[in-house]
Amino acid sequence: MSHVLVVDDDPVIADLVAFRLGRLGLEVSVESDGEAGLAAARQLRPDLVVLDWMMPRMNGLEVCAALRSDADPGLARTPVLLLTAKAQEPDLERGFAAGATDFVAKPFSTRELISRVTAALPPGSIPA
Amino acid sequence: MTDLPGPLLLTSTGVTGLVVLLLLSVGGAHVARRRGERRDAARRAELTPLVYTLLDGEQTAEALADAPAVLDDVVLHLLPQLRGSDRQVLRDLLVARGVVDRASEQLSARAPWRRGRAAMLLGATGSTRHTPDLVTLLEDRSPDVRSAATRALGKTGDVAAVPDLLAALTTGRAVPSGIVGMALLDLGTPALPALRTALDSGTAPARALSASLLGLHGDLPATAALTAALDDAGAPAEVRLAAAGALGRIGAPQATGALARVTVLAVEPALRAAAAEALGRIGDPDSVPALAAGMSAADLRVRTACADALASITPEGRDRLRALGALDGPAAPAARAALDAAPLGSARPLAGAR
Repeated sequence: MSHVLVVDDDPVIADLVAFRLGRLGLEVSVESDGEAGLAAARQLRPDLVVLDWMMPRMNGLEVCAALRSDADPGLARTPVLLLTAKAQEPDLERGFAAGATDFVAKPFSTRELISRVTAALPPGSIPA
Repeated sequence: MTDLPGPLLLTSTGVTGLVVLLLLSVGGAHVARRRGERRDAARRAELTPLVYTLLDGEQTAEALADAPAVLDDVVLHLLPQLRGSDRQVLRDLLVARGVVDRASEQLSARAPWRRGRAAMLLGATGSTRHTPDLVTLLEDRSPDVRSAATRALGKTGDVAAVPDLLAALTTGRAVPSGIVGMALLDLGTPALPALRTALDSGTAPARALSASLLGLHGDLPATAALTAALDDAGAPAEVRLAAAGALGRIGAPQATGALARVTVLAVEPALRAAAAEALGRIGDPDSVPALAAGMSAADLRVRTACADALASITPEGRDRLRALGALDGPAAPAARAALDAAPLGSARPLAGAR
């Protein structure tokens, strides 16, 4: 079963994303700040990280950059999907430069999120 | 033991009793409030998954129509963060629960906070049905309600409200430009045609704000209209200033000629400096002669803006700055300072094709 780590300081959004992804048959973990998210990623080695940008302690870009520069090559390659209200052109540039795999702009559609999560995971990750 | 006279003893006992009663009632109210908050939190935790199942299509809005009022808090928190069919589902839930109708009635409430809250709620639903009511509130006697109605109109996504929002800048009960600007930004790119129209007509504040927003959107199709506004010596200064800034943000080299003319020939130093800054953002080497000419301006702001702009145009601009920095005269200090502050790097690509 594929494992997705959701990191968002808004508990309602984090829970909603976790709920929808859990319904797809994915294993989901939730963290509420960047520092805890990075620690969880190192411990859990998820298949995908859904990451908010603006968070306390460590923002999403910092987490993303830390993952990309991790000594563990497997973790450094983990797809990162930024779920963020910062989705203007310069933000996209900064996000991709930090190593984001894809973006979902807030306000978001859960259907779009699911499509992008599905695309970011290896084929067959989501049970039929 | 102290002997107090009877009336004094009675008074002090009474005061002590009142103080004890007051403390007890404050403590009781605090406990009751904490208990109420805990109950609401528990209910919220219980009801939130039901909202998720509603978004998942496993629950109907009717099934939640009679759920406790705390459910509305969850929905109203989620609503602005979601879009598309998710937002529609939540909006239908609020309609089914009568929340929208109640808010609509509250738009004419006596208390300003009720009117403002109702406006925000109706805006959050993203429904255009209440646009006329919200437009009416743009002239509310309370500035807070006017601001709430302005932001709410932005949240509705109804671009038909653009002229009303721009008109709110200059009515007798005007809404601050920053708030109108945020609402217009919330409307997103669908508002661009209306903003282009507003750039050519209307009041100076409306034209200036339209220009700024077109620039923030990087609206390349507005380049010609913005260039015309910049070139119009009879246009209000705030409009020309905003047009210069917008052209810089858009980054279209088609505007280089007009910006160069303004940099060299305009009277107002602030406008010359804004045009020079825009040229720096565009980065077109053709603007180097105008920027170099601007370096001999009497006003320090103009010289500094021209120097900074030249520093961002490589290699032509920096070469000219080095030459100016080596000479004596008023341009030299600004040229040297700009070169010292300039980051190393290559020229940026031009944003628009000529």
